[in-house]
Amino acid sequence: MKILLVEDDQGVADFILRGLKEHGHVADHAGNGKDGLFLAASEKYDALIVDRMLPGLDGLSIMKMLRATGNHVPAIFLTTMTGIDDRVEGLDAGADDYLVKPFAFAELLARLAALMRRPPVSEVRTVLRVGNLEVDLLKRTVTREGQAIELQPQEFRLLEYFMRSEGRVITRTMLLENVWDFHFNPQTSVVETHISRLRAKIDKGFSSELLKTVRGVGYYLRADV
Amino acid sequence: MFRLLKTTSFRLTILYTTVFAICFAALLFITYWTVTAALRDQIQGKVDSDLQALAAEATSDGTASIVRDINEQLQYTGETIGYYYLIDSHGRKLAGNLDHFAMKDGWQEIALSAAILPKSGREIDADHVLWGRGAHLSDGSFLFVGQDGFRVLLVQETILESFAWSMGIAFLLAVLAGLLVSQGFLRRIDAINETSSAIMEGHMKERIPIRGASDEIDRLSMNLNLLFDNNQLLLDSLKQVTTNIAHDLRSPLSRLRQGLEEIRIHSRSVESYEAAIDSAIVESDQLLETFSALLRIAQIESGSRRTGFRSVNLTELFGRVVNIYRPVAEDAGKDLKESLAENVIVQGDSELLLQMMANLIENAIRHTPPEAKLAVFLDAGISGPVVAVTDTGPGIPAEYHTKVFERFYRLDVSRSTPGDGLGLSLVAAVAALHGINISLQDNNPGLRIVLRFPK
Repeated sequence: MKILLVEDDQGVADFILRGLKEHGHVADHAGNGKDGLFLAASEKYDALIVDRMLPGLDGLSIMKMLRATGNHVPAIFLTTMTGIDDRVEGLDAGADDYLVKPFAFAELLARLAALMRRPPVSEVRTVLRVGNLEVDLLKRTVTREGQAIELQPQEFRLLEYFMRSEGRVITRTMLLENVWDFHFNPQTSVVETHISRLRAKIDKGFSSELLKTVRGVGYYLRADV
Repeated sequence: MFRLLKTTSFRLTILYTTVFAICFAALLFITYWTVTAALRDQIQGKVDSDLQALAAEATSDGTASIVRDINEQLQYTGETIGYYYLIDSHGRKLAGNLDHFAMKDGWQEIALSAAILPKSGREIDADHVLWGRGAHLSDGSFLFVGQDGFRVLLVQETILESFAWSMGIAFLLAVLAGLLVSQGFLRRIDAINETSSAIMEGHMKERIPIRGASDEIDRLSMNLNLLFDNNQLLLDSLKQVTTNIAHDLRSPLSRLRQGLEEIRIHSRSVESYEAAIDSAIVESDQLLETFSALLRIAQIESGSRRTGFRSVNLTELFGRVVNIYRPVAEDAGKDLKESLAENVIVQGDSELLLQMMANLIENAIRHTPPEAKLAVFLDAGISGPVVAVTDTGPGIPAEYHTKVFERFYRLDVSRSTPGDGLGLSLVAAVAALHGINISLQDNNPGLRIVLRFPK
């Protein structure tokens, strides 16, 4: 995939560019806002990674200008600010996701993957399937190998999110933000508890494990073929 | 002295005095004119009646009879008040104490100069003026009756003089009073200034003396003293926070450093290096987390989030948080229940209210022994929604009830239990932003945190 990184901090830029290349992506780098806007507008990219604070033109302005010209390339904002307003501002300017520096590279990768495989809005699916696990969104039922599984509403939400992101790694913060609306880091093992409960219901007693852990990064749901 | 003249109260005094002086001058003007007019009328009336009586007598009894009257009159009253002049139709003077007088009918006001007086050796000064009326009698003779207007002029002079004196004294008194009042005022303002400077120079305990008169200066002083008290509190808490931050960030940094040094000296395998780096990353992540939490609290306290307030359904929001945490509580062997009134709506920031409730529940989960009973209550309330988060744990002694909201404050002095000591600070910040009143109460046993939303 072809990705544009607009980042003025050379250290951070090197870290991201190296990581992207290792994972098989092609990446261009712009060191300031003007070059970034020029590249983003003239070339075709699969995703943008834009730092919020840039010399010259800042990230917010770049996003606003791109969106105003009808460019809807998926974009992630990077920022050193942990402020609560910053996220809202970034998303309002047209960014699709937001990441606070410093971050684990796996986090950026997981979010990029989630962005680029976002299903088209028009696609309405009422039944989700992963292997022999089936979720009916209308009837709110879950079955595996024809066996009905009872889920609490919170567990259903969690499973639905995993089903929609089949095969992709979901990080802890992605779960917190997207499933529970938690924009902070809880001091208790909320994520682990819910994952283990969900796992006990959908995997325990079945032939294969669908919900898998990537140590230190997150979880993904996939049927082994 | 020079400063006194510049004070507001002195300037006010001068202003009032000037207004007073203008009123006084108006009074003077009115008095002067009315008194003068009254005296003139009196003199004119007297002259006219005298003239009429003499004219009538001359017509009935002849001119000769009034000559006698005039001479009697002059003898009786002396020569200084009444003036008469009678000449016959041939121009011969018959009676009177005037000379060389123009024979004009009607009212006349003439300077009483030596020219019209017979040589009597009397000294006449400029203040004397002759007021009178002349008339031709029926036999062709001319009669003039007049009076000296000196009395009127004297009264006028007296009025002016007494007004000038009293005005001068009043003005002097006003200025003196102004100076005195200003000096008292200035002394009190000086006290405020001195206290402020002392505080600025670092004598934080100084306060403005209160006179006890409960006047506006006392009220101002009291308010300023309150302001200084608040400032002191803030400074103290800032000092506390700084110390706490230093302490709390020092220990993980030391751990981090120690771990790195340890591995530098003793490790030889790739696995042990990786393990050491992993734990170093975890340690630094925790440090970053603490910084984020601090920044977040500071940002909430700045109040900028208030502009984004929307309707939030507390029943739905808190119900969701409780459902998310119930499994966590159960895994810790605790029971989390809720009792939420239907459709309680407030204006607020749902993201922050969610984190507030999450922090309160996490706090209850983390600081209670196994088998504790935790509960969240939401009541619509008469004076605004009321939320209570209760547990059956060890509770918090009353003397620490305000302390626990301070950044990094922890009841566990050894800091061996997990937690960053910022959870309740964030709760306090979110509550303050929403105008929520927080109180800690004894749950008998345990802790009951009560949040009262504004109406």
